[in-house]
Amino acid sequence: MNRNSPSPEIRAIAQHLLARETGAGDSPQTHEQRAFLVAEKLRHPLSTLVGATGYRALLARAVALAKAQDPGLGRLQVKPDGSLDGLSELSNGHAVEAGGAVITEILGLLEVFIGEELTIRLVSDIWPDLPAFETEPEIEPK
Amino acid sequence: MITLPAKVPIKQLTTGVPGLDDILGGGLPEFSFNIIAGAPGCGKTTMAHQFVFANATKERPAIYFTVLGEPALKMLRYQQQYSFFDASKLNTSVRFVNLSDALITRGLDGILEEITKVVEAGNPGVVVVDSFRTLLHNPGKNKNEISPDLFVQRLGLLLTGWQATTFLVGEYAETELRDSPVFTVADGLFWLSQDVDRNSIVRKLQIMKLRGQGSVPGKHTFRITDDGIRAYSRTLGLISRKRKMPSVKRLSTGIPELDQMMGGGIPEGDSFLVSGSSGTGKSLLATQFIAEGLRQGQPGIVAIFEESTDEYAERANSFGLNLQPAVKDGSLRLMYLRPLDLSVDETVHDIIEAIRKTGAKRLVIDSLAGFEMALAPAFRTDFRESLYRMIFSLTGMGITILSTLEMEESFKELRFSTFLISFLTDDIMRLRYVEIDGQLRKILMVVKMRGGDHSKDIREYEITSKGFVIGDRLKGYDHLITGIPNRARQKP
Repeated sequence: MNRNSPSPEIRAIAQHLLARETGAGDSPQTHEQRAFLVAEKLRHPLSTLVGATGYRALLARAVALAKAQDPGLGRLQVKPDGSLDGLSELSNGHAVEAGGAVITEILGLLEVFIGEELTIRLVSDIWPDLPAFETEPEIEPK
Repeated sequence: MITLPAKVPIKQLTTGVPGLDDILGGGLPEFSFNIIAGAPGCGKTTMAHQFVFANATKERPAIYFTVLGEPALKMLRYQQQYSFFDASKLNTSVRFVNLSDALITRGLDGILEEITKVVEAGNPGVVVVDSFRTLLHNPGKNKNEISPDLFVQRLGLLLTGWQATTFLVGEYAETELRDSPVFTVADGLFWLSQDVDRNSIVRKLQIMKLRGQGSVPGKHTFRITDDGIRAYSRTLGLISRKRKMPSVKRLSTGIPELDQMMGGGIPEGDSFLVSGSSGTGKSLLATQFIAEGLRQGQPGIVAIFEESTDEYAERANSFGLNLQPAVKDGSLRLMYLRPLDLSVDETVHDIIEAIRKTGAKRLVIDSLAGFEMALAPAFRTDFRESLYRMIFSLTGMGITILSTLEMEESFKELRFSTFLISFLTDDIMRLRYVEIDGQLRKILMVVKMRGGDHSKDIREYEITSKGFVIGDRLKGYDHLITGIPNRARQKP
């Protein structure tokens, strides 16, 4: 397994979080707002754990990793207060991909640092009804 | 009339660090305010984590405040490698809270506010602040902020008032002991150190202060393994154990003539030293002693430093002493102890554990020279003192110890033992080479028996396929003990 990329389970969790933020209220969230909402929900507990500076660093790294996969995300950035900026400037379809990539990468970073189990525990504290994701184990490339 | 208890009982909490509760005198006093201090890399954070995971519950969780030190992500990354780390406790009974931003923006006042808020909301039974020293040495932007002295005092009051047992973790130097207010307020002060001596590292722990109960004084060795920190008390965990009353029983060596020379065998609970140069049969004699014990239903332990357990068993087998059945049924434990940088306390801990498991009555240490070589250089300087503690502890348990000691052969004099350890042993037997009639022959003598009279004879012996065969007293020679005797002149 390539340890630099998020595991299938973490990817599935990221997609789930983005999907569930739709329709949280009466008015459906726009696509870019989903990623923003997920990031905002992550911000407080992660800032408690690693400090506001630590959280901002993680998010900035996640944005950089997302940009490396999609150079079209050039305007996406993290504001000094640790919030995501620039998603609304992307086209709707692009914003969905960008938001998904950033959330996947930040969870992937946690996975790299503290492992899948602790990452899922942290996410479950924020979204207590997070379902279990059974994923097929990745096959090591020969 | 109502009788009130004379003093308040103080509950002792386990530290989660094997061996440390013994050193503390039973455990850590509940609600105490403690400091773990020492240089970087000593294991301070690991010790704090062991305490946290051993005591945190959902009802009384542990809150681990991090400040400017090791980032929490790194802490979780590394600490989860230890076996004590329980991932299921994260965010349920163990919570991490970063205070760096509060310190930077609001200084010590902000820290105190933040800790108060979290403690009042969380009802923790355990609180850790890591690193406390950086907190006090990095004041915030507010010049009117609370002084460090007042901060420490208020923090102590807060955490005691909320019935939390607290650890402040900091990279302190011993020179700071006098100046920092935190040492005055603290109930307990745990000082960890690591010294590099030649190529080895020696880690030691000292309880410099502990209010309310007696702890074991001095520096105790500790080691960091995959299970976290493991401490080895200088008293070897035997402080509360009563010494066994001296026994009148004698243990056979398995060599009847030798037993006879010693007045019936080795007194039970004695420390018996067999010294001699290479090839004189020290290890064989020790093996016969163990084999005889097994034959009589007395479990035994052989601590080997110079060869593997397989080699040892194979060599015993060549003398008709099949040790394998006893090894298999657990009545004999062959312990190979060769890793470098051992401390005596670690070794004795392993031996005592083996004694408890096997119920051993006989212990062979083969050899003391190998034992010394296995120690870290820093421990070698204290070898004699350590040996004394070890022998005193083990014989106090009623164990009979036979140690072998390699001696450099001199043909001018007879030395009984090196290391100046003769006084540490109850009984000494010396094996040596002697030149007689153009042959290199072997003699033995019992030099000392603390428990009573013994033979004064110098007797020749041979090593055969059946082990030691002791002959008669060598008569007709003077200066046998020099190794180069003369034929005694016949008196006219």
